[in-house]
Formats: sequence, structure tokens, C-alpha cells
Amino acid sequence: MSASKKLQIPEKLRPVVGASIFFFIMIIAFMITSPGVFLDFGIYTAVFLSLPLFTIVGLGLVYITVAGEIDLSFPSIIALSGLAFAWTLEQTQLNFGIAAIAAIVVGTACGYINGLLVTKLGLSSLITTLGMNFALIGLTNILNRGEVRMLSDMDGTWVRRIVVGSWGPIPAQMFWSLGVALVLGLILHRHKFGIHVHVAGDNPEAGRAMGVNIERTKTLAFVIVGITSAITAMIAILLNSTYFATMGEGYLLPVLAAVFVGGTPVTGGRGTIGGLVIGAATVVFIQVGVVASGLDGYWTSLGFGLVIVLSLLGHRWFSGRLTR
Amino acid sequence: MSRTPLVKLVNVSKSFGRVYALEGINLELYPGEIVSLVGDNGAGKSTLTKIISGTEKPDSGSEIYFKGDLVRNWNSAKARTLGIETVHQNRALSEQQSIYANVFLGREKTNALGFVKRKEEIAQTEKLMRTIGYTSKVWTPSSSVNKLSGGERQGVAISRAILFDSQLVLLDEPTTAMALSEAAEVMDFIRNLKQEGRSVIFISHNPWDAHAVADRFVILERGKVVFDAPKGDMTADQFVAHLHNFAKK
Repeated sequence: MSASKKLQIPEKLRPVVGASIFFFIMIIAFMITSPGVFLDFGIYTAVFLSLPLFTIVGLGLVYITVAGEIDLSFPSIIALSGLAFAWTLEQTQLNFGIAAIAAIVVGTACGYINGLLVTKLGLSSLITTLGMNFALIGLTNILNRGEVRMLSDMDGTWVRRIVVGSWGPIPAQMFWSLGVALVLGLILHRHKFGIHVHVAGDNPEAGRAMGVNIERTKTLAFVIVGITSAITAMIAILLNSTYFATMGEGYLLPVLAAVFVGGTPVTGGRGTIGGLVIGAATVVFIQVGVVASGLDGYWTSLGFGLVIVLSLLGHRWFSGRLTR
Repeated sequence: MSRTPLVKLVNVSKSFGRVYALEGINLELYPGEIVSLVGDNGAGKSTLTKIISGTEKPDSGSEIYFKGDLVRNWNSAKARTLGIETVHQNRALSEQQSIYANVFLGREKTNALGFVKRKEEIAQTEKLMRTIGYTSKVWTPSSSVNKLSGGERQGVAISRAILFDSQLVLLDEPTTAMALSEAAEVMDFIRNLKQEGRSVIFISHNPWDAHAVADRFVILERGKVVFDAPKGDMTADQFVAHLHNFAKK
């Protein structure tokens, strides 16, 4: 075996390794340019607060991307399922169980509607979910009537301590999000359903010929986006003890960026959960890092743009044929 | 021959409106036999394979026997349970997935929670690949299908067809649009199927390919069997001449 062969990284791991290399280069660059900020642990705590939110909804987006579709409606699903959570908490004097069920039901229903529109009516998922994004935020605003819902009563509750408390220096939601990533990663790569998701995005005809229900598989992938959106909404509300209808704003582009920076190609049939976690970390570090290092917030977008384009080039170089 | 045919078609017809796609077909297929089904476009080859695989219903009065017993309401589920598998023209593979995932696609071996038993699937895929004569050592069952040549891809589809001890494999134009070396590879896979004691119906436009693997030729012309004879010592040239004769009529 030649030396070059020994160094070869298994093809499946390449997107993750590529995204990781890119991530560490970025961190080192941040450390060199503003050591005062990035050699202090405080910045990492700040990252760990918001990283889980992007990670969890990003996991859903990996599923739908691998299934060969896209979902742009998740920011509004976050807003609407968040409203269901907050409203139910208010009505039930903080019954978290019922409120969580309400949020999950709303998220599931939104995903299911997306799935039906795309698979039963054959509509383009890009346009359908773009429309749904408008429709659902409209519905949220109609129902919420511009209220900001203060939920400060839940500050001392055990649920809040468990979900968004601190485990040592690390916020609890970090562990929860990694747990969700582990479960969804196992399902995507080891479960029968995960294989069918891959086939749905790669060659749906092949799946149909072998008796796989491609329509149901895609619909379930949309439902997973709905559920991960609802979980993100619940964690964000617990974290801030407040609900406002604009809570879904600011997720759309960073989450999509996390998926693609992580090494999941837009073409479907392939994807990586590990890469998504790294991609989300990259995106959140830019958001937090740009501000923390004293740069104007306007630099964030420029940073995003550079990172997305550079990372795609990196993946292309690394795996030879990604995104083409 | 005194053996019982694996599948026997008696007076099988299929009409679309007033047009007969197949008219009074009588055909017997024996275990371990490769039958080359040839004929011009529109001769009824595809319709006949669809009837045998159960995806198309024959007209009433048609009879299909399996191992000597008349099977009523023949359909694709029944055909599959009896061990009749089709390898489709367009291969029906998910090319970015592994070979073993494709072989078990839609029939995954899972535990009670639906998680795939990868080790079992990989081991069984390896065995199947060896059975049909995969000689290349470069690929393992975990390699993704897009790394394979056209012939090897068809091999994956053929492996899949014999996964559950199927007894009759229908190959619909398996060498179309293939390089000669790839087609030769597929021919070897087919010969290995026969060695395993399985029956094969090989449908092809290419009379030389059809001649190379066949034990018996069946020529269809305008929905009828116009020729049905063992290969014997008929050469490829004689066979092609035969075909031309029928085409002229």
C-alpha cells in the first residue's frame, strides 16, 4: 500500500473532515486577529447559547435536502409553533407537557401540509415553502396580534433548569442538541427510513420500482423539519422567557448556510449530520465573532458570504465532485 | 422432455382495444434454462415479460401454470412470491448509495426498531456478488454504485433479483447502451445464473448477444411465437438469417 493510500479519508467522512478543517482555520484566524476575545472562554459560552438553536432546526433541513427537496418555511414554523407553546403555557399556568405537545403538533401539521402540497400536488418545494413561509408568519401575526408574551414566571422552574440551565460552564441545550443530532444521525445513516430518504433524493424511480413509498418518505422529511423547528422554538422561548412573533427571523439564511457549509450538497441523495453540526458552529462563530471582535455588525454578512463560497470551493477540492 | 416446466403459458393473449399485442402464446420455461426472447420493436416482447412478471393482466382465457399448477389471478405479488424477479431496463439503482443498500432496497434486513442489520446485509451481498461472478476485488459491498462500470451496475441489479432465491429472472434489454466489454461482463453474470440452476428469460434487440447465452430461442413477431427451438448447433449467423427471414414476411 502506498503512502498516499494510507492517508486516504473514507469518502463518507470527507465532508465532515473538510468542514472541520475549514472551521479550525477560521477559529485560528479569529484568535490571531483578536486574541483578547477568542482566547477567553466567555465567547464560547456565548456561542454555546445560540448554537443549539441553529443546530436542531438545521438537522431537519439536512433531512429534507437529502430527500431532494428544500424547505424555506421553517422560520415561520418556528414562529407559529413558538406561539402555540407560549400561548398554551399562559393558558395552563405553565403546564410544560401540554405546551410542548401543542408546539410539536403545530410543527408536525405545518410539515405535513408542506409534504402533501409537494408530493400529492407535485408542486415545487422551493416555491411552495416560500409561499408557506409568508402564509404561516401571516397566520402567526393574525393570531398573536402583535403581543410580546412575557413568561418570566417560568424563570425558577425545573424544566427551564434542565433544558436551558448550565451544566458546568456549558449551557444544557448544547447537550440536548447533540443528543438530537445523535438520534437523527443514527436514523439518517442506519435506519431503513434514512436509506429511503437518501433514495428519494437520489433516484426516486429506483425506490418506487423496489416498492419504497417515496411520497410518504418525503412527507415525513417535511414533518421532521416541522418538529425540529418546534423544538428550536421551545428552547428559544425557555432561554429568553419571552415570546415575540419575530422570533423566527434571522434563521433562514444562516441555517441554510450551515447545511451547505457542512458539506450536504443541494443535489440530494447525500448528506451529513456531523457536517451540519460543524457548519452550524461555523455560522454561529461568525455571528458572535464579528460582533465580539469589535467589528461593525455589517461585517457579518460579508463574513457569511466569504465563508459559504470558500467552503463550497473547499468541499469541491476535497471530494472532487461535490455540488456539481 | 418429461420434466415439469417451471412456468407454462397456454393460449396467452393481450389486446389493447381491438389491437392484439399478444395472440395465443404457448410457451414453456424449464428450470435452469436460458431462453432468449427476440423480435422486432412492437413484436410483443415487453408485453409478454410484463405478463409473466404480473404487472400486466392477460386477457381472459389465458392460462399460466407454475410447476404444473394453474395459477388463477396471476399478479405481480404472486409472481414475486413464486420467485419471479425482473431486472428493469433502466436498472433502477440509486447510484449514490452503497451496493448493499441497493441490493436490499425496499426489503431491508432490520431489527425490531427498523435499524438496518448492516453486517448481515453486507455479508449476504458479498455472497451474491460472488455467486454471479463478480471478479473485481476493488469494490466491496459498501462501495457506492456510481463507482461501478455499466456492466457491474447491471450485476448489482441481477444480484438483487436473485436475493430471495428467485427461480426465474426476467432480463429486459440488460445490455442496451453498453460497451462491448461491459456487455460481455453481463453475459457472464447471466451464465452464472444458469449454473445456479435458475431460469432466465433474456430479452434483447441484439441477436448476437441473444445467441451467445441462449439454450433456446423464441422469436416473437406481431404478437405471435413464430419460432421456438433449442439452440442445438445453430450458429450465430444461421440464427441471424432466421431472424431476417421472419422480419421480411
